[in-house]
Amino acid sequence: MRLQVRQLNYQIDKTPILKDIFLEIQEGEFVGLVGPNGCGKSTLLKAIYKTYKPERDRVFVDGKDICGLGPREMAREVAVMAQENSVEFDLEVMDMVMYGRYSHRKFFEGEKKEDREICLHFIQEVGLEGYEHRSYLSLSGGEKQRVLLARALVQGSGLIVLDEPTNHLDVRFQYLIMQTLKKQDVTVFSSIHDLNLAAMYCDRILLMDQGQIIESGTPKEVITVENIDRIFGVRAQITFNELTGKIQVYYLPDEIGNQILAGRHNLQKNSAQ
Amino acid sequence: MTNRHRIRTRTQYLSFLVGICVLIAVAACSSILIGAVEIHPGDIGRILWNRITGREFFVPNWEENVETIIWNIRLPRVLMACIVGAGLSVCGVLMQALTKNSLADPYVLGISSGASAGAVCAIVLGLFSFMGGYATMFGATLGAALSIVLSLRIASMKGRITSTQLVLAGIATSALFTALTNLFIYGFHTGSDKTKTAQYWMVGSLSGASWGKAGYVATVFIVALVVILLFARDLDVLLLGDEVAENLGVHTGRIKLVIILMSTLLTGVVVSVSGVIGFIGLVVPHMVRTMVGSKHKRLIPAVVLVGGLFTMVADMVSRIVVAPEELPIGIISALIGAPFFLYLIRSNRTK
Repeated sequence: MRLQVRQLNYQIDKTPILKDIFLEIQEGEFVGLVGPNGCGKSTLLKAIYKTYKPERDRVFVDGKDICGLGPREMAREVAVMAQENSVEFDLEVMDMVMYGRYSHRKFFEGEKKEDREICLHFIQEVGLEGYEHRSYLSLSGGEKQRVLLARALVQGSGLIVLDEPTNHLDVRFQYLIMQTLKKQDVTVFSSIHDLNLAAMYCDRILLMDQGQIIESGTPKEVITVENIDRIFGVRAQITFNELTGKIQVYYLPDEIGNQILAGRHNLQKNSAQ
Repeated sequence: MTNRHRIRTRTQYLSFLVGICVLIAVAACSSILIGAVEIHPGDIGRILWNRITGREFFVPNWEENVETIIWNIRLPRVLMACIVGAGLSVCGVLMQALTKNSLADPYVLGISSGASAGAVCAIVLGLFSFMGGYATMFGATLGAALSIVLSLRIASMKGRITSTQLVLAGIATSALFTALTNLFIYGFHTGSDKTKTAQYWMVGSLSGASWGKAGYVATVFIVALVVILLFARDLDVLLLGDEVAENLGVHTGRIKLVIILMSTLLTGVVVSVSGVIGFIGLVVPHMVRTMVGSKHKRLIPAVVLVGGLFTMVADMVSRIVVAPEELPIGIISALIGAPFFLYLIRSNRTK
């Protein structure tokens, strides 16, 4: 088992954000974390990658309590890709990606040829060939995100945790990032806003609301008209797309949605009679 | 846009360093030549060679006082200018890595003022006499430590350090410690030269240079430099932010402690021999970054040399402009540094 969370609670300023979270992610799974804004998704991910310190015996990666891991061991187990806007000093794309190899280098060891090759491979993998010497700050949002993905991948960790990796990206890059992730031989745990994107790529989806995981299952099981109405307060229609073999969510304006809901209600009433 | 740093390849970088070294040698010679007593350029080399080898390799055909002036007055001063400048510049780089902000430097953050207050406190009140000749240095380091803790505490209130908070924290810290310096001097100093002493500690000057001082600043500087270079890669990753660095495997607590210890020690020692010389740690790293980039393995050696050169030239200027009098070097560095600081604040805003 790659990741196991047992009865995790977390408070910020005495407000409980996470309440009794249990979850398990198997080796090689691609798991999406879905839920409304403010439900605690980022907090959960941060507690898993230790930016927020969880209590002992709550979060286990590859069977090891993360509280017992030093930063270097932790980085070898878990790679992180989160929103990052605080780069003040400029640096090259290659350097940025190379920082992902930090945990594999010994104290005062130089850059190895092997490290460079790994970096070049993943720069290629995210479609940024020829960008090695470009300055990171001059890149577009989509390019920056892909650099960060490459950096997380060169870390060579078994588990990669992503916080809204496709935020602010146009359609092309959203799919490019997910496809790149899907191709890798790693366990993925990612929060995702776009339910269709989640349905397309995830093996399993965890639905979160008010600090708790309320449902877990395949996209088809979790992304339902009822759940979308209950959790997000939006009416939806869900169809099966034969081309992709995945479900497709359409959001409906309230008038139409309410009519349909009312219609279904009437239907149920009628059949009851 | 490709990388805009002008110096990219290894060869370019090495020739840049060699070039700066040549300029340093030129600056050192001219600096030794400048002064009330005229010196023949050729004598410099001969006197130095004799002194270094300890033999009369060249038969002295110069006056004895020329040798004294060169060896005991001008040479230690040149060396001290170089090390003080290099030290302050390295401190600037460290403070910038710690705060992730290019406006940070020991002067702006008020750490120099803290060191100065500590030094004055040690001298005037005769504290730390158990340290013997190192009492001033010890006091200055202690003052630097106090002020860095205070300044960073204020700057990092509400989590992230913003430029505004950083500058405000620096103003407050520096005001507090400057007031303490003045308090010690005007309140407890027994000499009649209070104004002069106060000015020396607050504006910075290299006029008190000697071999002894140059020696211990150099020792501390080299030790600190070696330690910092060992952690060069950690510093690189730290620039991405504490959380990101931690996720990538950096022990951020440890590297921050190293930064604070080394910069406190360096600032303390530098200030204890030269008083508060402002803005060098701001101007030099910024100039060097635009040329060689922000990778510390490349940045730090270049900053050391450029910082040394910059300060030697500033020292020379301070001795020329009102000759035969001399200005405190702090005035020159502030005249260059303050407008530069404003420029940095401006470009920081537009980002």
